[in-house]
Amino acid sequence: MRLPRLTLNQKLGAIALALGAVAIFSQPHRGPFVKLDTRELALVVEEQVDHVTAPELAAWIVEGRADYRLLDLRTAQEYAAYHIPTAENVPLPGLADYPLLRNEKIVLYSEGGIHSAQAWMLLRAQGYEAVYMVLGGLEAWKDEVLFPSLAADANPQQRAQFERAAALAQFFGGQPRSGDAAGAPAATVELPKLTAPPPAAGPATPVGKKKKKEGC
Amino acid sequence: MTAPLLKYGLFGDEFSLVLAFVLGVGFGFCLERAGFGSARKLAAQFYLYDMSVFKVMFTAIVTAMLGVTYLGWIGWLDLNLVYLVPTYLKPQLVGGLVLGVGFVVGGYCPGTSVAALATGRIDAMVYALGIAAGTLAYAEVYPAIKPFVNADAMGQVTLPEVLGLPWGVVVFAVVVIAVLGFWGATKIERWIGSRS
Repeated sequence: MRLPRLTLNQKLGAIALALGAVAIFSQPHRGPFVKLDTRELALVVEEQVDHVTAPELAAWIVEGRADYRLLDLRTAQEYAAYHIPTAENVPLPGLADYPLLRNEKIVLYSEGGIHSAQAWMLLRAQGYEAVYMVLGGLEAWKDEVLFPSLAADANPQQRAQFERAAALAQFFGGQPRSGDAAGAPAATVELPKLTAPPPAAGPATPVGKKKKKEGC
Repeated sequence: MTAPLLKYGLFGDEFSLVLAFVLGVGFGFCLERAGFGSARKLAAQFYLYDMSVFKVMFTAIVTAMLGVTYLGWIGWLDLNLVYLVPTYLKPQLVGGLVLGVGFVVGGYCPGTSVAALATGRIDAMVYALGIAAGTLAYAEVYPAIKPFVNADAMGQVTLPEVLGLPWGVVVFAVVVIAVLGFWGATKIERWIGSRS
């Protein structure tokens, strides 16, 4: 039997059809299965380049930077009670389906830091490249941003740092703690608050320029 | 090596601009060589006596679709990382119609107009001015039509998701539609050609 003579276009069409037919059985998406470069991730962890400290994050929020997404991984109730301004609430189980772009800068935080570290791993495994964690989580945010403290025997450099931290704390509705009696006459009033759980007193309303960019 | 190369960090943003330039020049060169630098060729599509534009577009779709499918299948391309333009159904239908009208009236689509501009065609220069004016006008009316522009947001969806069909079945269906389309387009060309 002789094959009919085909024009080039017809041959190309036949090839496309054949490739399409084979593709019926293809599985081009990996789905929830991932491949990890364990060495690369270990290196990232080792070098701690995946960290954002609480004061750094605070500075970004004050500047109104919009080049990152801040995700709060705690439950909706905890989020409602208090959250870092501009944060979006994404409880861990919903993380896989949350609309994020692979090339977005993503900053995670949880209460302490364990959940954010675990979420960091999940996101990295799914190919999100720029994922960061707030070092120490919300605990660190409280200690270093909302209620920064100054030791009584601080040197001038530490004092200058504390001045800046205090301004930040006030911006976010917190209270600087100072062991320096001379500097703050109201220190006695402030001190009790330190031991009390602070989040309820925190700003429930977002502070600062709230910019949220949904890609474009 | 896994693609997308940029998102896997093979090169940075700056080099991606260099690549974009090289690819763009290559694209323009091919457009010009294929005759798409002429408004007549493009307008002919809408009078149905030369279906090149239809065939080229559908060939591009089928080639890219099969390429992406197979590269994803053998693991060279991470489809999760490929950027998809989010779908806004009604606004995009209206936008497509506006673009189509401009295509018929001006005889160019945005890409071919740049290629034609590079070869010094005066109508392409006028067309480019039109693009600039249209862009400006759009920016001016944008606040008024913003609700409509953002209406019908469906997110980054694909046909397999919307139709609830396996990926491969959609791929095969598109190939079949394309091949039937090529066959039909050639018939139409002959029919129109024989009438005139």
